[in-house]
Amino acid sequence: MSGFGIYLVFFLIIALNYGIMVLGLNLQWGYTGLFNAGVVGFYAIGAYGTAILAGPDRAALIGGFGLPFPLAILGGMILCALAAIVVGLATLKLREEYLAIATFGIAITIQLVALNFESLTGGANGLVGLPRPFIDAFESTTSYNLFFLAVVACVTALVYVALEAAVRSPWGRLLNAVREDEVAARSLGKNIALIRLQAFVLGCTLIGLSGGIYVAFIGFVSPLDFLPILTFQIWAMLIVGGSGNNAGALLGAIVVWALWTMSGLAISRFSPVGFQNQAGAIQTMLIGLLIVSMLIFRPRGLIGERATVSSHKERGAP
Amino acid sequence: MTRYLCSTAVALTASAFAAGSASAQSCEVNVGAVLSITGSMAAIGSAIGDAGQLAVDHFNAAGGVNGCDVNYILRDDQGSPNVGVDAAKTLVEIENVPVILGAIQSGISLPILSSVTVPAGVTQISCCSSAPSFTELAEEGGTDGYWFRTLPTDRPQAVVMATIAREKGYERIAVVHVNSDYGNSLAGNFEQAFEALGGEISSITPYNQEQASYRAEINRALQGEPDSLFLIAFPADGATAAREWISFGGSQNMLLSNALRAEEFVNAVGAQYLTEAVGIDNAQVEGESVEAFNASWEEQYDSDPSGPGLHTMYDAAAVALLAMEQAGEADGTAIRDNVREITGGDGEEVYPGPEGFAKAKELIAAGEPIRYVGATGPITFDDNGDVTGPYLTWGVEDGALVTLDTWDIERVNEAMAGVSEE
Repeated sequence: MSGFGIYLVFFLIIALNYGIMVLGLNLQWGYTGLFNAGVVGFYAIGAYGTAILAGPDRAALIGGFGLPFPLAILGGMILCALAAIVVGLATLKLREEYLAIATFGIAITIQLVALNFESLTGGANGLVGLPRPFIDAFESTTSYNLFFLAVVACVTALVYVALEAAVRSPWGRLLNAVREDEVAARSLGKNIALIRLQAFVLGCTLIGLSGGIYVAFIGFVSPLDFLPILTFQIWAMLIVGGSGNNAGALLGAIVVWALWTMSGLAISRFSPVGFQNQAGAIQTMLIGLLIVSMLIFRPRGLIGERATVSSHKERGAP
Repeated sequence: MTRYLCSTAVALTASAFAAGSASAQSCEVNVGAVLSITGSMAAIGSAIGDAGQLAVDHFNAAGGVNGCDVNYILRDDQGSPNVGVDAAKTLVEIENVPVILGAIQSGISLPILSSVTVPAGVTQISCCSSAPSFTELAEEGGTDGYWFRTLPTDRPQAVVMATIAREKGYERIAVVHVNSDYGNSLAGNFEQAFEALGGEISSITPYNQEQASYRAEINRALQGEPDSLFLIAFPADGATAAREWISFGGSQNMLLSNALRAEEFVNAVGAQYLTEAVGIDNAQVEGESVEAFNASWEEQYDSDPSGPGLHTMYDAAAVALLAMEQAGEADGTAIRDNVREITGGDGEEVYPGPEGFAKAKELIAAGEPIRYVGATGPITFDDNGDVTGPYLTWGVEDGALVTLDTWDIERVNEAMAGVSEE
């Protein structure tokens, strides 16, 4: 396999994993209209939960249960769901920007807890030496990465199919109803608070799943992984790809992450020696420029939300 | 929009093919660096990048490595681990680098190490990552020996400080430290060393950076009747904490960490309160090889090489290139196995600069052993890829910073042995 191919496998693992996170956010924002600006906080809970459950036993740390990875990731997701229930009950009464500010603050709090709760999270040093799942079964890193990509792709596909089924169900239409007009939805006797909570918790659980997969792949976790910039990246993926469309969410994850990383590769190739220091700044500007121009030329995203007039009409169409 | 995407895709594909053909035609060796050119460490990152470039330029002026020109590829990690890991992966797979220099922050170097360089068998040498987790990982065998850093770890510093504290007769010491990987690990190592030497730690109090006041932290540190304070901080926050410590009646028997060796700190606290204080710093700021680096930096960039990480970055690049020359091939594992050949041992000393590298290349060609004495002085990597360095202690006399004592490597090693035996 060529060098570029090997890199592409690596790239897709990370991009698809972000895709899972964007799908989670899409359920919250795209379908239900919940402005979750604390994506990275739930990502951190999933990641740390997995790392603590799967990590080796260490004298200085509380965790280190050495569970097999699939179980540990499941545990991370459950922790994430519990956290989301608590956060959701406390904040979901808030609307739009108020919810955004509250969740943003919660994400920062979670990162600070990770930085300071040393006996659990390893503090600023992070958790090192986490085992990489099933690595012994593979002879080369390349075949291992291919295997990992296959797993991540399967999980992503599973999540996608499940979400597609969910948003097309009556429950999914209820989410849209809450997003479009809460009062009207309530007047039909629907429990708005419960529906908002369900969407929030489910979305956060998916974000936590993504955190667990990240830890399994990288083998290390530290508070530096959970800076607020990641929340912005995930939002950029959703908006560029097309909020309210699951395929758009996945496409957005891949396109934006490609811009973010491969622009650096391209620039480092074309910038003359001696100007490499400036290349970093140019890359950052280019990322911003491309995202802004995408929003100008395709404000609804690459694949926008499908206009649904009536499901009966859709069914009747040839 | 499709056009944008297409042109980007075409450019990327073209560049990918260009990579393949370029390396086949001409003799070039790529050396990769992942540093924070933008992001939270941007203020120091680009100068560190220049230091790596300088070492590569010097090597090329001396005739390149194994007869090939060295091509220095610097990638930005934006201060984010995910971007840094991706940049490292492209360097390894697409640019075929046998060695990666960096990153600056430990939280970026470690994921690169665990997910990119170790699995690919590429040597990684950092200028700036100080976290103890690397030592821990290396001891467990998690680095396979591919990890090196030219920055002295903080354990020797902690041991020297503990030894000084005992020599001065301090019995119960309070530790106040900045809550970062640097502060946590220095405090932890100090506690271990001080207790091994028979002292007692009254409390360890972390503080978060850039607060207006540290009254709560200082009050906590004052409980338990400490007779002295070890303050691990950066100048601005450190001055706030030290002032509050003294105004609440804390002892003037203070030990100060390396980052506090700054006029700014002394002036902000007041020199009259610091006459009893003893500070520590890395002492690699003098010597012939250090002068050689400083002179060529000034010539090249027309400024003082006074920022953090410049000397260590130059050495990281120089060690990588010399090991590549010694190995005779640009291969990560071969570089790993030759790093200690060209640093430890009794070979002939070579210094930074084109002349130094030319001399090194001649000696290596003749099969003679060499010993690189770098921009940070003599370098010896231990089994975990860590270096030990010389230290100096400093104090304040008549309102100015003065050097009190120097600790060369032998004396530091003696102190280290004294702690581990007990």
